[in-house]
Amino acid sequence: MTDPIVATDLVKVYSGKVRAVDGVSFSVHEGEMFGFLGPNGAGKTTTVQMLTGNLRLTGGSASVADLDVVRRSHDVKQRIGLVFQESTADPDLTGRENLELAAALFGVPLRTTRSTIDSLLERMQIGDAADRLVKTYSGGMRRRLELAVGIIHSPRVLFLDEPTLGLDPQGRAGFWRYVLELRKDRGMTVFVTTHYLDEADTYCDRIAIIDHGKVVATGTPSELKDRLGGDVVTVRLSNGGGAAVETVLQGLPGVASVTKFEDAYRVKVPKGEELIPRLVEACDRSGIRLAGVSLKRPSLDEVFLEFTGREYREDEGMTATDRAVRIGQVQQAFGRARR
Amino acid sequence: MIRELAALTRRELLRLARNPQAIITSLLLPILYLILFGQAFNIGAFFAGQPGGQTALLLALRGAPTYFSYFSAGMTGFVAVTATLFIGANVIFDRLFGILKRTAASPATPTAIFGSRLIAGMVQPVGLAFLVIGLAVLLGHLGLSGLKVTAPFSLLGTAEVVLAVVIISAMFASLFLAIGFSIEQPQSYFAAVNAINLPVLLTSAALYPWGTMPAWFRDVASYNPVTLAVNVLRENLFQGASAYYPYGPGIYLLGLLAWALVMFVVATLLAGRALAPRD
Repeated sequence: MTDPIVATDLVKVYSGKVRAVDGVSFSVHEGEMFGFLGPNGAGKTTTVQMLTGNLRLTGGSASVADLDVVRRSHDVKQRIGLVFQESTADPDLTGRENLELAAALFGVPLRTTRSTIDSLLERMQIGDAADRLVKTYSGGMRRRLELAVGIIHSPRVLFLDEPTLGLDPQGRAGFWRYVLELRKDRGMTVFVTTHYLDEADTYCDRIAIIDHGKVVATGTPSELKDRLGGDVVTVRLSNGGGAAVETVLQGLPGVASVTKFEDAYRVKVPKGEELIPRLVEACDRSGIRLAGVSLKRPSLDEVFLEFTGREYREDEGMTATDRAVRIGQVQQAFGRARR
Repeated sequence: MIRELAALTRRELLRLARNPQAIITSLLLPILYLILFGQAFNIGAFFAGQPGGQTALLLALRGAPTYFSYFSAGMTGFVAVTATLFIGANVIFDRLFGILKRTAASPATPTAIFGSRLIAGMVQPVGLAFLVIGLAVLLGHLGLSGLKVTAPFSLLGTAEVVLAVVIISAMFASLFLAIGFSIEQPQSYFAAVNAINLPVLLTSAALYPWGTMPAWFRDVASYNPVTLAVNVLRENLFQGASAYYPYGPGIYLLGLLAWALVMFVVATLLAGRALAPRD
């Protein structure tokens, strides 16, 4: 059996102009929780839409649950679960009715439908609200219902597209608890997109970092952090610095590398706390005026910065879909103006 | 496929039952026409007392005993238009709220997704059409102008009336679904619907006495699906009315079926395109 998700050189170009996904390749192993991490507009949702058979590929190929997503998109939908980033449950139906509908669409056997739904409602702790209309549910309850809909047919692969977007920290933690329990019990492979670095770090076995439609790094969270070579000490100078500063910093014991980033220097070193007193002393001796020194343990923020050359901002950018829609609107407006 | 269709149809019907305002709004226009227009527009008064007045009236109304009877049969046919237009709007709102995306991402076939909306779209107008007939008859018992059903009861006649209402409902449900699946913004949808709604009514024989129409208007109205449906209704509701129609109800039913099939094919194609993987 091959890996449940294999993507090879995936390309998606919207409106002939916006290259939302640009040659993305990766594979996800059986039973793995794989995180697809990147800021808004990086190409995460577009990738999920292609892998789940809902969006045509411009180039490349992909197989999910041993099926080609282009040729067998209908069968792929049968074998996967998909939780969208927005609520897609029908607000005019009760939670139970939404699950009954999903059970029918995904072909859950009739004889087990009722018990499956009851068990899911209990597990997601929405049993008491099962017969209430979904429009009366809280955000957290809606998310848990979405998850229940996504797994009602016990899929081999579960796709979670920004599943905790808009939830408070308590709601996020609760949601992940359910996902982890389900994964443990059912052994399903989980592909999750998120722009929350802490979620990827805490819950994912492996991560791919995507930026501007390209995968810039793949590995376990610890592998990625190890690639940083230890702690990062950021040095800010009151007079901007110069070549002399780099020389002083490079000369300090244990320093692996020094890079200039905006108005600061990033110094990689195995043990940052031991470097700082020496660094302050060396700068003082060389007449370099420090504005600030900070120490960061290896984190995915640092990994992102390392591989993309820019700091990670969770709310940055417009999504690729937004960009495509905007382009369409502009084209339409121009078309109308010409007419 | 059958299970998917049944589950999706159940969902549509549950939503319909939980939103009675859609039913009330659909009924409002025909009821206003019945209570206001139908009562005030008593064309029979112009023929009363004139030599040969009753014959001229029967000729103008194609065998209907009163203008209100003629007109209320027309409103019964027109309710299929007012009651189905929400079906297309539901597609647009389901798209906006992500519900359509969820359904399209499931293994449900486009046929089941479209078919469920078509079936649910027909239930409401069929029910409302018979409610309009009942109300029009009731008005007559309240001392107002009312629908006088003068034809004797026949099983075939009843079946033809039911079939006409079902087919015209299917036709307009298909039309509005076709628009709903191909337009994304609610305001554009309602603009399109308004552009269809009134012309369909005004170019049909639902309101105007047939005998007073200019010849060219009759030619246009003859092909209007609402006219075809109300012809079937009038031939079956009024004793001797068939003598005023060139064809029997079966021919009008066939014409109506042809309209419905064309709309069904167009709507199926557009729905299939809207539910396919996006570009």
